[in-house]
Parts: sequence; C-alpha cells; structure tokens
Amino acid sequence: MSPIESSSSWTLESDLEDLDIDLQDYGPSIPLKKVPNGDIFEASRAGDVDRLRYLLETGVNVNARDRWDSVALYYACLAGHIDAARMLLENGAICSEHTFDGDRCHYASLNLRIRKLLKAFEARPPPLAPLQASLRETFLGCFHNRAYLKQASVANIDVSVSVDEMGSSNYFPPDVVFFVQGRPIEAHRVILSARSPFFKQKFESEWKDRREVRFSKEKLSYPALCSLIHFFYSDRLEISVDDMEDLERICKVCKCESLQRIIEKELIHQKYAEYKTHRDLDNSMKRFILQGISLPEEDRLPASLHRILRVSLAKPFADTSGDSLNSSVGDKRVSDSVDSLADVCVKVDKRTFYCHQVILASRSEYFRARLSRVNDFHEGKNDLPGDCLPALEEHDLSAEAFEKMIEYMYTDGLKEINPNQAEEIFDVASRYLLFPLKRAVADALLPHLETATPAELCHWLVLSDMYGVLKIREYCLDLVACNFEAFVETREFRAMLLTLPPPSGDSSLRTTAPSAPGAMMTTDQGNLLDDLREKWLEAEALELDMRDESALIFDKRLRMLVEMAEQEKSESEAED
Amino acid sequence: MSNQKKRNFQIEAFKHRVVVDPKYADKTWQILERAIHQIYNQDASGLSFEELYRNAYNMVLHKFGEKLYTGFIATMTAHLKEKSKLIEAAQGGSFLEELNKKWNEHNKALEMIRDILMYMDRTYIESTKKPHVHPMGLSLWRDNVVHFPKIHARLLNTLLDLVQKERTGEVIDRGLMRNVIKMFMDLGESVYQDDFEKPFLEASSEFYKVESQEFIESCDCGDYLKKAEKRLTEEIDRVAHYLDAKSEDKITSVVEKEMIANHMQRLVHMENSGLVNMLLNDKYDDLGRMYSLFRRVTNGLVTVRDVMTLHLREMGKQLVTDPEKSKDPVEFVQRLLDERDKYDKIISTAFGNDKTFQNALNSSFEYFINLNARSPEFISLFVDDKLRKGLKGIAEVDVEVVLDKVMMLFRYLQEKDVFEKYYKQHLAKRLLSGKTVSDDAERSLIVKLKTECGYQFTSKLEGMFTDMKTSEDTMRGFYGSHPELSEGPTLIVQVLTTGSWPTQPAVPCNLPAEVSVLCEKFRSFYLGTHTGRRLSWQTNMGTADIKAVFGKGQKHELNVSTFQMCVLMLFNNADRLSYKEIEQATEIPASDLKRCLQSLACVKGKNVIKKEPMSKDIGEEDSFFVNDKFTSKFYKVKIGTVVAQKETEPEKQETRQRVEEDRKPQIEAAIVRIMKSRKILDHNNIIAEVTKQLQPRFLANPTEIKKRIESLIERDFLERDNTDRKLYRYLA
Repeated sequence: MSPIESSSSWTLESDLEDLDIDLQDYGPSIPLKKVPNGDIFEASRAGDVDRLRYLLETGVNVNARDRWDSVALYYACLAGHIDAARMLLENGAICSEHTFDGDRCHYASLNLRIRKLLKAFEARPPPLAPLQASLRETFLGCFHNRAYLKQASVANIDVSVSVDEMGSSNYFPPDVVFFVQGRPIEAHRVILSARSPFFKQKFESEWKDRREVRFSKEKLSYPALCSLIHFFYSDRLEISVDDMEDLERICKVCKCESLQRIIEKELIHQKYAEYKTHRDLDNSMKRFILQGISLPEEDRLPASLHRILRVSLAKPFADTSGDSLNSSVGDKRVSDSVDSLADVCVKVDKRTFYCHQVILASRSEYFRARLSRVNDFHEGKNDLPGDCLPALEEHDLSAEAFEKMIEYMYTDGLKEINPNQAEEIFDVASRYLLFPLKRAVADALLPHLETATPAELCHWLVLSDMYGVLKIREYCLDLVACNFEAFVETREFRAMLLTLPPPSGDSSLRTTAPSAPGAMMTTDQGNLLDDLREKWLEAEALELDMRDESALIFDKRLRMLVEMAEQEKSESEAED
Repeated sequence: MSNQKKRNFQIEAFKHRVVVDPKYADKTWQILERAIHQIYNQDASGLSFEELYRNAYNMVLHKFGEKLYTGFIATMTAHLKEKSKLIEAAQGGSFLEELNKKWNEHNKALEMIRDILMYMDRTYIESTKKPHVHPMGLSLWRDNVVHFPKIHARLLNTLLDLVQKERTGEVIDRGLMRNVIKMFMDLGESVYQDDFEKPFLEASSEFYKVESQEFIESCDCGDYLKKAEKRLTEEIDRVAHYLDAKSEDKITSVVEKEMIANHMQRLVHMENSGLVNMLLNDKYDDLGRMYSLFRRVTNGLVTVRDVMTLHLREMGKQLVTDPEKSKDPVEFVQRLLDERDKYDKIISTAFGNDKTFQNALNSSFEYFINLNARSPEFISLFVDDKLRKGLKGIAEVDVEVVLDKVMMLFRYLQEKDVFEKYYKQHLAKRLLSGKTVSDDAERSLIVKLKTECGYQFTSKLEGMFTDMKTSEDTMRGFYGSHPELSEGPTLIVQVLTTGSWPTQPAVPCNLPAEVSVLCEKFRSFYLGTHTGRRLSWQTNMGTADIKAVFGKGQKHELNVSTFQMCVLMLFNNADRLSYKEIEQATEIPASDLKRCLQSLACVKGKNVIKKEPMSKDIGEEDSFFVNDKFTSKFYKVKIGTVVAQKETEPEKQETRQRVEEDRKPQIEAAIVRIMKSRKILDHNNIIAEVTKQLQPRFLANPTEIKKRIESLIERDFLERDNTDRKLYRYLA
C-alpha cells in the first residue's frame, strides 16, 4: 500500500472549522499558474495541486530539499497555497517544532490559516501505516524500551502513542537485549537483520546463541542507538540534533547506507543551519525527524521484510504426507532457518510456512495469543526437542490465501488480487483479526465489481455483510437499490433473499425524517434488508409523507419475492 | 467474465455450508460449552486452541454471536455458582485459602476463554457495545461469589479479624491476605472501596478510639507519642504489604484523627510531661516525635507553636523583669543568649528548622526583650565587656559567632537608637583609653550594624575610627617637625571630630606648665597644617603616665587620668595642699575634683596621697600630702577613677532625655519626607507611615509625632486643611 493511500482517509476539517475566516479573502486574485513540467518545489510554489498530486503519487520525497535548502512545504506556506500545503502535510511533510524545516515553515507562513494548519498537523503527525504502527507498538511494548519513550517525551519529541495505551497486551517477548552505556534496549533479531546487514551477519555468527549483547564502547550512545532501532521498527526517525553524529557513526557500522547518506547530508546542513538559528534564544533541543518515505523504496521497512519473507518462503516445502505433525516438522532443525531467522513454522493445507513469531504476533492478536498463551491447550504439549522450531497447524483455509495474508503481514502490500481469492482472503483476514487487510482487499476489489453481473453482486453483498466489509457492502447495496427492478428479475437475487433474515417490521428503525444532506450512515451494520429498504427509498426519492407507505410496498414486494424463491427452490429440488 | 467464474459465484457455492445445517449453531456451541467445562476442570490439555477458536469464529461469522455470548455467560455463571458453594463449605481458616485458590483458577480459565472467544470480543461485542469477555468474567465472579450472601459478610469479617489479630501482635499469613485484597482491586476500584476499604476504615477508627483512650489514661505524653508513632508506621507497613497504595492516606488519617487530633490539647498540656516539660528538659526525641506527628493533623503545629510561644513569653518576662537578674548586665545578656541557643537547637533538631517556629521564637524574644527599657544599654555593655577583655584568646571564628548572636538580640530591639547612643559612649571610652582588644572585631561589628541598619547608623562610629587613625599620623608629623621634644614629657593628642563623638561639656582646667607648653606647640603645629579649625582640649577624657619617686626611693609609674595628673603635679612644688588650694590651682569642677581626689587618696593599696582627716569622703576643709609610705608589688600602678560602669539613675535619665532630643529631628525629617511625596495626608496615615519609616531605628511615640507635626505647622512646613481639620497639607 503506498503511503498516499494510507493517509488519504485522514482529514483535518474538524480542526479548521473553528477558523471563521472568509475563504474568499485568502483566495488568489488571479488564477493559479499551472506548471505541467515542474518539480515538486515548483508545483508547491505555484500551488498546482494536480501536478503535485501526480508527483506525490509517483513517490517523490516530500521532505527533500532543493538547492536553496528549502522543502516543498516551505514554498507552499510562503506562497499561501493552503491546498498544496495540506496535500504535502497529509503525505508526511515534516512541520514539527524544533526541527529546522518545521520552524522555517512556521515563520514563513503567509497567513494565520496556514499557520493553523501547520499547528494542527504538528499536534498530530501523519499516522504510520498499519505495519509500521504495529511493529512500533511491539517495540515500545517491551518494558525497557519505555525508557526511550520517556526520554523522547522529555526531549519534547512528539510521541503519538501514550504510555497508558500500551498495556501488556502489545507485549511480545524480545529475543535479544542490548546493553549500551549500561542501559538495556530490547529488540527482535529478525527486524534488525532485515534492516541492517551488520546485524544480520552478527546474528548468524557471533551472537547466534546470545540473548544479551553488551556494548562496552563508550562512544556508542544510548539515545542514538535507541533511535535507530526505533527507526528499524517504525520507519520513523526522531532524534535530537546533538545525537546525530553518533547516529551517523552507528549507521556506518550497521551498513545502513542510504540512511547514513541522508544523515551525513543533514549534518552538513545542520552545521550551516547553526548560523541561521538563534541558538541562545531557543534552549529547547533541536531535533531531526525523518519519514521512511525519504529513503529509497528498497530501504524501507516493507521492502526489507519482504526480502526476509522471500527467503523464508523459498525453503523447500515440507512434504507432509506423513500423518503425524510432529514427525513432519520435528526434523526441521533450527539450523535450517539460520539464514532467514524463522522461528516458527505454520502448516496450512499440506504446506509449511516458515515465519517469524514477532511479526505474526505484532500483526495479529490471534497469533499473539496463540504463540504466547497456548501452553494450557493441546498445542502447548508438543514436546519438541530443543532445537526444533515450534509448529502451528491451521485448518480450514488454503495455502494460497495464507500466503497472501503472510505477504500482507510482512509488507503491508497486496499484489494484484484475483476476485476468486478475495472471499478467502476476507475469511482469513477476519479470522486472524487482520482488519486492515480487509480494507485493502476491498479497495483492490472495487474496480472489479464495476463489471460484475447481478448474480455476482448478490454474492458479494452476502459476503461483505458476513465479513463486515462496509465499503463493498455499501457499494453493492447502492447498486441493488438503484437497479432494483433488474435484480428482481434474477434468480440469484431471489435465492439470496431466502438466506437472509427477514426485514424487521419495526418502523422505529426506519428513518422517516429526511436525513440531513451528507449525514453519515451509521457504521454499525444492521439487518441487510432493512438497509436495502433505506437505500431503495432514497434511490426512488419518493415524497416524504409517502415514505411509510412506500416502505410497506417494498416489504410486500420482498415477501412476494421470497415466496417465489421458495417455489423455485422446491422445484429445483424436485428436479434433482 | 468466464463461465467458470460465474459458477464460483453461485450462492450455493459458499465455502461454509454450515448455514444450511439448522443444528449447526447448537452443535458448535456444544463443543465450545464442553471446552469451557473442561477448562474449568483444569483439563484443557486435550483441547485444541486452533479448533476452538475456529469454531467460535464461525459462530460469530454466521451471526450466532448472541447465542455464543449468552451461552458463555450462562455457562460461566453456573460454574461460579458451584464454586461459591464449594468456597462456602470450606471450614474456618481454610476459607480464605479456598477462595484464593478458586479465584486463581477462575482467572486462568477466564484468560483462556477470552483467547478462544477473541473474535467475538473484537467484532460482535464491539458492535453491540456489550461488556467485553474479561470484565464480564470479573463481574460474574463479583456477583456470584464475592456478593454471594453467605460469602460476602463472612469474607469481610474474616479479613477484618485477621487485621485485628495482626494489630494485637499475632502473625498472620500476609501473602494470602495480599492475594485476597488484590482480588478486590482487580474487581474494580468501587468493589475494593465498598466491600473492603470502607468497613476496614470504620473498624480501624473504632479500634484506635478505644486504644487511644486507654493509652492516654495510662501513659505520659512521651510514651503516648511513641505508641502513636509505632501504630502509624504499622499501618503504613500494612498498606505496603497487602493493601492498595491509595488506602495509605485514608488509614493514616484515621489513625491521626483518633490518636492525635482528638487528644491534641490534652497531650500538649499534660502535667509533668507535656510540651513545656519537654522544652524545659531539652527532650529532643520527644519533641521531634511530637512535631512529626502533629504536623499530620490540621492545627496540630499551631497548637504546639502557641503553647511554645506562651511558655517562652512567660519565661522571658520573668527573666527580663527580675530586678535581681538585671543587676549584672553581662550576665543578663548571657542568659538571653543561652535561652536563645537552647530554643534554636530545639527548633533545628526537633522541629526540622520549621520557619513558622523560628518566627514564633523571634516574635517572643522581641516581645520580652523590649519589656525591659534597659535592654539596649545592657546589650551595649555586654558588647563592651566582650570587646574589652572577653575576647582575649578566642579564635576569630568564635568572635564572629559571639558578635552574630549579639546582632541577633540587637535585631529584636525596638529602640535601636538608644543602643546606638550607648554603644557610641562605650566605644569612645574603649578607643580613648586604648582598651579595645581587637580592631578587627570592632570593625566587623560595625559592618554588621551597617548591613542591619544602613550607612546612617554607623557613619559616626566609623568617623570615630578614622579620627583615631588620623590622630596617629598627626602625632607622627608633630614629633617629626619638633625633634627637640624627644626629651621631656611626651604628649599624645587625639583629635576628635565634633559630632562624631559623644559630646560632653568641655571642662577647662589648668594644666601643669610642662604640659601646657607642649599643648601650645601642638596647637600651633596643628592649626598650621589645618587652617580654619578650632581645637579645644577635652581634659576630662585624657590619661597620663607619670613617674613618681616616693619617700624611701620607691620608683613607680602611675597611670592616671588628666585631672589626677594635674593634682599630682602640684605636689612637685608643695608638700601639703588644702582642698581649696588644689581647686584654685587646677580649676577642675568640684564634682570631678572630688572624685579624682577620692581615687587618689581613699582607695586602699593605691593611695599615693594621704589626706587629713582620714575619712571616706572628700570635704572642703581637707588637706592632702604625698604618701611617702606608698608601696606596691608592681612598678606600674594604675589608679582608676571612681566611675560607675552602669549608669546611675540621673545619668540614665539624662541619656534618655538626649535620646528623646535626638529623635525629634528624625521624626520631623520623616514627616517632611512623607508629606513631600504625598502632599495631602490625614493624621492617622501620617502616624502610621512615620512609625513604619522609623521602625528600623526606634518605635516612635504617637504623641511625640503629633507634637512634631504641630511644630512643623508653626514653622510653616505644613498646614491644616481648612475644611477637614484632620487633613494636613505640605507647603513647598
């Protein structure tokens, strides 16, 4: 999923509503210039929203600086293009206080409205994508890593997750602990290996069997390493400028080359920025924030995990012809999994997947419970020899669907989806409580529905109702309501009616009053036919005082259809 | 769309055909119900988590969430009902253990069930807004076990009994206790508060009410406080061990109220062991305990402080007004200092240097020191004593300590100008007679006075020091320009600036010829270097060293005053002189002459002259001759003048009058200063402001201020307002 999609649903109207400034006052007096060939800076300066959208969709770095040392957001603020500024902010442009770029944008803002926009985004930085967010919670869920959070909040760095939110529920035990300057950092091998060749090599050799690694070098600073590891988990780097030199050194050792390059550039930049700021006036700690999208695609978290996943899946599939689960997985030595660091294998429909506990547990509550609390159940009793991987067996789903899901878990990405598979993936996503996946599948599925037949739509309607995929359900209901007569003609629609609970006769559920324009439908899904009736009434746009009668007519119609369907059913059964 | 695809989309093609089976829900639920039973019977090892979860998931998916939810509640309720019967059946001591055991089992089972029903927890319960599985399990436990009528009261009584037992010294199982209390806390704050904390506090209150009554009848104050402190630490310890940390404040406040607040007055005023007794006997431990305990209750410290202040004032009053004790000024001041040290130590060791207590101490001292009008004089005398001899052989640091203490007393004085007056006199005497022990000490005291009262206060004192310094230089210059004078008598002149020194009427006297020649020479030398000045000789303040040879050739050096020198020199030319002759020759005023002769003739062992008739007093008709038989063990003999160290009554009156006289211009200056800025002010406000402005020096008397205002009106500085007679106007 691209970062644009992940944050597009997130708007800020509520924060700006209290601004009672007439928009007309701030609108440009001359029409906006179009810069069809401009780069992101030109587009921002000109306020050319279309060009900007195109550029952002192609994945340019919103926080890049031009040769005048300015970011795109700076130009948008300076020129007062609020739509361009908002678009940049929604795509992760940094405007936090005490960062060089953030402060600069604040000072440069043309008017109050822009500044208010910046303030609103500063208080609420763009949310992380689900993968990054859940891994970050896992990292911060480790007891000792809370110290980082505290230190961060002392240093006035935005912490979007408050400490109370993280009960023990996000806890997944770390498998390695570093001690730097006497302070512990808890981490998970697979994440570090995925992000840094240095850690990968170390975990394969020297640190293979160690649970604790103590760094005695005085030069290695705790805040810098902690920030880096936090970055490994969350793709968001927040560090005070004073620690950046340490971080650069660490990056060099860890062979995080692209990050190191950025830090180096930033260090040179900060050196000169020093002259521009009034350091004496502002004692608060300067900091630097980096979003993952500033890195080349292959160095971001999803890509790194994707590589890890490829390695794990590339293993020869175990031939599970043997009846006993134990015999089939018991011989898979830990040594086999060294190169991918897999620490669990999941057997699905005769195929075995090598996976990483920390990622399964971070993404899915089901797996977290399964991996950490199953000891009391039957599964906990597999007395595997010490060097064997723990094995899980999942029934009632196909290996293909599971593979898709695993891929989503690791990368947040969903490659082209076959509508045939969608149903199964809905099932997997609900079953493993992976709700973002359902939304992702729905987004991928919607274009396919445009060409679907009424019969297919009925099918999707039932499915989406069952799995609670609101987007699809709404879409189908709208289609059915608008083309009600066409659907009535299809046998499948009538058959579907048979499987659904009848509409409630309770008229109080019905909105007889006209709904306010643009008012949201209640997100709680109720009776499918009730909702269909509402949609139908809306689509028919009947007179208001006729609504009750029309509803009755609709119900009568439905009853007739059901009768017809029953008749058809008994006929077909008779044929059989 | 291909045909094949179409086939996939058949409604009948659902993967889960279960909907078709009407008994599906019942069957699945039966599986799950059996699983829950097994989990409760700790027999879950045969169950597959994956399978159970899948079943629960499918039930919810096919809209049987309601059935699952109600089924889960019903099953759990049934189990808990059974458990509560088992718990109830437990006998005596095993009751709590049984409860705890069942509670742990329930918790574990609940966790497992929650994991199995996780999908329901996340979707069905979320959308129907029912309580989640875990809180539901807890509230089921609460309703079916804790609030089960036969358990509820028994549980509470058992717990309170255990606490009672521990209070009376028995050892109880704190671990078990902690677990059970933890159960209450897990069930929610309100459960803990209503079902345990409230009755616990009530029982504690009752217990301590009885106990404190018992103690107060049988113990003295110190012991009582010890016991109260012990109880308090016990309760805090109890909270730390097995109660909720939030209960600490509540239970301590119960103990404080019952043990301390309710008996506060009685404790403080306890006969023979109360606060006054502790203060008198320096019982630092007891006092410290009292402070830390009373601090916890409202008005506790106020009570202690009030009693202490009252005691201090009473004691101070006795000390200050006792005529016996004010006989010796040095002793008097020393006593004050000792008292102050004692209370300082009490406050610093027992009362944690509490500011309010220090303030109370200061105000008490201020109160009673000013009860005795002679305090300023006594303090000055004390300083005089210390600076004359007392500080010999004491390290510099200690000198500072003594001076600091004196300054502290000085701060309490309201009539600082009276002190200044005396201090000036005493300083002048010390300087002129060369009696100061340490110049540094003198100067450091002046610096202290300066920081306390400002430049004005000490400028004259400092002038005195400069005079001494310049006189030394002048004398060196004088002898440098008159080298022939190294033979014969040496004259040392101290030139004193008028005004800086305490003035005494210059008493002229005829100096002996040898001396007056020298004086003349000095006068012409001095006036030669400093034109426009006037010198007058203060013969009453000088001293002289004279060498005398007595009858049998005994040689002595006599240290005498100038007057005495004049008298003695007369005997160089005459063997016997009458009083009249002496008076004529020297022209010393009668009173001084009498005193001077008295010291020469009447002091035993130092009577260098004899008089006829031999009597104590000097009469007009007496005659004098040299005492040839004078002997002394020492070569140098100091013949002191008979002077009263302490002022006599008339002298006191005189000083008083001079002080009053000095105050007048100060009051007037203050009035003018105030009126200049205010222009118009009414009478009461003037009085208030003047008093405030003069506070650092003395307490101005309102009637005196009124007189000064009238005098200023007479001199056209002020006028009364024409309409409002109480209003004054400043006339520029």
